[in-house]
Amino acid sequence: MSTTIKVARYHLIFPILLVAAPWALLAFTFAVNLIVTVIQGGPNPTKALAAIFAVMVFAGGLTMTRSLPFALTLGATRRSYYLGTVGLVIALAAFYGLAIAGLQALERATGGWGVSMYYFQPHYFLTGAWYLTWLSSFVGLVLLFVYGTWFGLLYQRWDTIGLFVFVFGQVILALTGVFIISGDHAWHSVGHFFTTLTAAGLTGALAALLCAGGFALIRGVTV
Amino acid sequence: MTPAISLTGLSRRYGDQLAIDDVTLQIDGPSITGLIGRNGAGKTTLLRIIAAQEFATAGTVRVLGSSPVENEAILPNVALVREDQAFPQFRVRHALEAASLFYPHWSAELAEELVASFELPPNRWVERLSRGMRSALGAVIGLAARAEVTLFDEPYAGLDAVARRVFYDRLLADYAEHPRTVLVSTHLIDEVSALLERVVILDRGRIVLDAGADEARSAFTRVSGAVEAVEEFVAGRAVLERRRIASQESAVVAGGLHDGDRPWARELRLTLEPLSLQQVMVQASARAAQQSKEREQA
Repeated sequence: MSTTIKVARYHLIFPILLVAAPWALLAFTFAVNLIVTVIQGGPNPTKALAAIFAVMVFAGGLTMTRSLPFALTLGATRRSYYLGTVGLVIALAAFYGLAIAGLQALERATGGWGVSMYYFQPHYFLTGAWYLTWLSSFVGLVLLFVYGTWFGLLYQRWDTIGLFVFVFGQVILALTGVFIISGDHAWHSVGHFFTTLTAAGLTGALAALLCAGGFALIRGVTV
Repeated sequence: MTPAISLTGLSRRYGDQLAIDDVTLQIDGPSITGLIGRNGAGKTTLLRIIAAQEFATAGTVRVLGSSPVENEAILPNVALVREDQAFPQFRVRHALEAASLFYPHWSAELAEELVASFELPPNRWVERLSRGMRSALGAVIGLAARAEVTLFDEPYAGLDAVARRVFYDRLLADYAEHPRTVLVSTHLIDEVSALLERVVILDRGRIVLDAGADEARSAFTRVSGAVEAVEEFVAGRAVLERRRIASQESAVVAGGLHDGDRPWARELRLTLEPLSLQQVMVQASARAAQQSKEREQA
């Protein structure tokens, strides 16, 4: 068995982070929204599905802080740990995306669980065919997980200072972008850029950037 | 024969602090070596570099003939469970299951026996274990891994006397059946001294003594008796410590004794005693500090 596979199995010994937490939170927010919808009446297009995506950011961070040191102690290399962890999440997310698409189909078939609650088809996201729901959820879950690993790895390498620089850096970058674009009255060009860019191209570029960055970060981690 | 551990000119710097300073060390084959030194001497950092958990700033490290850094062929044969080991959200049995996945020579039978001997509760969360129980868990993993290079970092921190005895007995018994390279770091020296075949003393990141355990014990000698007789005996030798009470004196001299020294000491009615390893460490560290001061002044 390769070390990469061992790392994936390591995460599944007690899979609270990658399996239990996302689905427990999804079940909890679903139940709360169902109760609210029953009491207040539908239609209720909730945004609570975002919870499972948010959990992936936390899971990404925690796999690189709480789970990483013991795996390296046991002889995993940084490379195999990263590949094993991200590989497992890709496999899990493919399955989770399928589950979300299935539940969405069920939601549509039952008229929103009989009470017009649209948990799996919030009006701003996942509104297309089932395979688009699967693909979007799958890619979204993986990207958010990898984004979360950055927080964990930056913390592991440079402690709180690393996190602050990362968060503030993103805010400053976003504000600078908004400032420049607004100053040049260039929002039209930005809109044009995003409308001509394919979703696959943008996602691919983002995934490559996040994964390459995460891989570069983990290579220098010490425990 | 490929050395199990070979370090050459190894240094590790953190800002302006030199945690490991030009360490060269070779451990050839199966042996139990003590890495001893005061708190902050660099013991844990050195072990972490050997296990590729930390990177060297300069120098080379070879484990079983290759660099251990990102080396999938070497790292499963190296076990280092630290005193301050961080665990995921695991119960004791999860931690052992994880170890069994990675170590190719893992002995589930030995792990089970050790868990029973240390009275470790398999279903307790690791984070709820006392310090001693955590150390015991580290000892179980380190021993049951049967890794070719087994590194213990302060393995008995927090362990009570009974558990420490279990650790020593099990280490020796398993080592006899499965010889391997064991490097034990500690500052509780005298208790482990009987286990050690070789002693490496680290002080402020530098090796200040590297010798067989018996040789290390005879590296310093305490000379006690009448002041005049002691002074006559130690004249011309490196004296590291002098204590006088009334007409009696006790002095520690560095360097081994020569053939004629013992009869001469008997003639002078002096008592010659080897130091314990703990005292050797204190004296070796003091001597290193003195030499470093002399170098700076020069």
